[in-house]
Amino acid sequence: MKSPALGLTPRAVNRVRFAAILGVLGPGLVSGFADNDAGGITTYSLAGANFGYNLLWVLLASQIVLFFTQEVGARLGLATGQGLAGLVREKYGVRWAAFMTSTMLVANVGSIIAEFAGCSAALSLFGVEKWVSALLAATVVVLLLTRGSYGKVQYLFVAVGIGVSLAYFLSALLAHPDWGLAASSLVIPRLSDRPEYWLTVVATVGTTITPWGQAFIQSYVADKRLGPEDLTGSRLDVGLGAFLTNLIGGFIVVACAAAVWSLGNRVDAGDPEAIKHIAQALQPLAGDGAFVLFAVGLLAASFLGLGVVPLTSAYAACEAFGWETGVDWRVREAPAFYGLMIFFIASAALVVLIVPTSGLVQVIFMAQVVNALLLPFVLVFVMRLSADKEVMGPLVSGKFLLGVGWLGTALLVLLSVTLVVTAITGA
Amino acid sequence: MLYLSQAIGRPVRDKLGESIGTVADLIVAIGDRYPPVTGIVVKTNGREIFLHWQSVASLDAGGASLCTSAIDISKFNQRPNEIRLKLDLMDRQIVDIDGRKVVRVNDLRLDEVEGSLHLVAVDVGASGLLRRLGLEGPWRTLARSLHREVPERYIDWEDVDPVERTIASVKLRVPHKGLAELHPADLATIIDQLSRNDRVGVIAALDDEAAADAIGEMEPETQVDILEDLEPGRAADILEEMDPDEAADLVADLSDESRVEILGLMEKEEADEVQELMTYGEDTAGGIMTTEFVAVPANLTAAQTIDRLRELEPTAETIYYVYVTDSEDRLVGVLSLRDLIVAKPETVISTFMYDEPVAVRTDASQEEVTDVVARYNLLALPIVDAEGRLEGIVTVDDAIDTLLPQPSKRRIPRLFSRSGTSER
Repeated sequence: MKSPALGLTPRAVNRVRFAAILGVLGPGLVSGFADNDAGGITTYSLAGANFGYNLLWVLLASQIVLFFTQEVGARLGLATGQGLAGLVREKYGVRWAAFMTSTMLVANVGSIIAEFAGCSAALSLFGVEKWVSALLAATVVVLLLTRGSYGKVQYLFVAVGIGVSLAYFLSALLAHPDWGLAASSLVIPRLSDRPEYWLTVVATVGTTITPWGQAFIQSYVADKRLGPEDLTGSRLDVGLGAFLTNLIGGFIVVACAAAVWSLGNRVDAGDPEAIKHIAQALQPLAGDGAFVLFAVGLLAASFLGLGVVPLTSAYAACEAFGWETGVDWRVREAPAFYGLMIFFIASAALVVLIVPTSGLVQVIFMAQVVNALLLPFVLVFVMRLSADKEVMGPLVSGKFLLGVGWLGTALLVLLSVTLVVTAITGA
Repeated sequence: MLYLSQAIGRPVRDKLGESIGTVADLIVAIGDRYPPVTGIVVKTNGREIFLHWQSVASLDAGGASLCTSAIDISKFNQRPNEIRLKLDLMDRQIVDIDGRKVVRVNDLRLDEVEGSLHLVAVDVGASGLLRRLGLEGPWRTLARSLHREVPERYIDWEDVDPVERTIASVKLRVPHKGLAELHPADLATIIDQLSRNDRVGVIAALDDEAAADAIGEMEPETQVDILEDLEPGRAADILEEMDPDEAADLVADLSDESRVEILGLMEKEEADEVQELMTYGEDTAGGIMTTEFVAVPANLTAAQTIDRLRELEPTAETIYYVYVTDSEDRLVGVLSLRDLIVAKPETVISTFMYDEPVAVRTDASQEEVTDVVARYNLLALPIVDAEGRLEGIVTVDDAIDTLLPQPSKRRIPRLFSRSGTSER
């Protein structure tokens, strides 16, 4: 397309490298931070509290898979300038687009429910009634998203998120964890045949690699109008994002392992007091103030997710069906976009109202499992598109990337199938 | 009437009624108002073969019948003006010229026109989407029982402009004739919705003036992206067509490398003007003024002044005011177009000009400019330097622009936009 006849040449490749990379930094990092949402904090906490350092290998493995899936997503955005749903529609037709999008939306609504549950659980530590916190959170988020001020506020959430990550880091240091055991657990899987173990493995994977994260990275890259020459910067960004998100996850696990698990305590996700137990992880740092610190962090994490996930979902649906997507439209000009976004938020808030307060942690946890189970359906499209020379041009996946991508997808499928089978036979 | 989705996958029978395969695609020749169908792609034994439309006796929702039994299985060679409906158009994005936005093709509507089948419209409505999903029947039943209508929306093929990537498989130069006729603000909105490659493709197909007008309506960071994606020579041509104040703002935002390169390729006069404007602070009167105004010496007659206007009109941003300057370019008076026309042709303008013109200095704030424009109900405000020399004018539309706070232009979460570049 960029032929001289049209008066076009590719943008100069040898621009100042540093500036080019700084300009690209963003999508992967934002996606990484949003990964440590309500689901992330809760799931990592439960993993550390119940299985100590044993699940650290899952974090390392999902970090690697996350890097490769996000890299493919970013590359699709760079090569096509299109979001995932739109691309699936163009390549495989409206039925497949409807299938993939609705699968993703089910997973996303699960995530949004988890974010609301996170808000309510956090505020319940201050004695706020569940219906008050859910309605409050829904109203605040809808206002922020429709009035266009979310873009600024998100930095506050990210900042609080970083603060809480530091808190976990310090708390982990002060709790004198068994660093040797932690380090060896990163690379040596300590397996178990207990169903809860595998359920937690699936939830940990599901909270790290998400269908919405896949759609998000691609749309964000495309909307930033990045192009093939930004490949190196994007890879760096995605790699850094994947590294940071799991580094933080790792410290949460270690903090919980040292402060809860090593004392012989366990946390059942269904326990009404579960949220208080996992807040104990911050006790070595904050003492009696641990639960305040935890609540603030969980609240900020939930809000970060509440902004990103409904937006991504409405965006994907509109893209697949050809309705006006947000960005520069007013509410009246893009009724489908705003309607869907509010619908996702409202229905998720409603589910949280129905669930008893004691079951909130369980809801968050199970939403991550659902995410993991539905993830392969999205990844299959991503991998197939990335191998298509016609779609990708020079950015088409090479043998190595494709091999790794399909291997990761296959492992996820295997994990999901194992879980479903054990759930059926176990029951 | 036939929808493409109804024909795809249907059986193809030869003259004897034997099924030989299924309908894979239809081919039309672009160029006419309604492109005629010129061929059919048949899928048979896992291969695609191409048949001329002459060998097709009929095509409807039940499938195709051929009027031949001998099938030429030669490979299909696409001619430059032909496109495949399913491959190139179905599910793709197109520009709806009439509705002025980018939409996705849900289905394609074919009709008999003068005895042959033509592509007449693009279905972008809910009914097309439901038909594709196989839900149209049940949905209509449901809608009928609720006394509701299923919303149908078609775009006449004449009002369609295929997006660049849509027809990437053919080497067809899209004229974008329809796009060029849109109002620049609408064109800017459409271009903003396109992906990067499509965007540059559309700009490349427009003439310099239309491109300049459209780019002038875009947000600053979009302008920069587009200009840097264009070939530098073309970017320079487009900048020359823009108002110097707009061009200066844009050039100031370019990367150092592109700025030097593009300025070097512009005509010297225009480049100098732009560079001069760039020296003023962005929030000052100098930063928002344009240097395209009409200034005349005080000793001209009304008739001579009007003649001068005729010569200058094409480039000046406004001619409602004519400024009068002395031999050192100092502002000494102002005339309105009305004053000029009602005056006797031979009257010297210094006798009837308004000789205490309101003006502000180049370093005045934007707020001051807006205040003065509002207080004196001006269409344009002259801007002078410390010695009182006329440097430029700020027209009322540019003054209003400064009143609009940036956030009101962006109402939607910036999460999904160029947030990385918008902060600079």
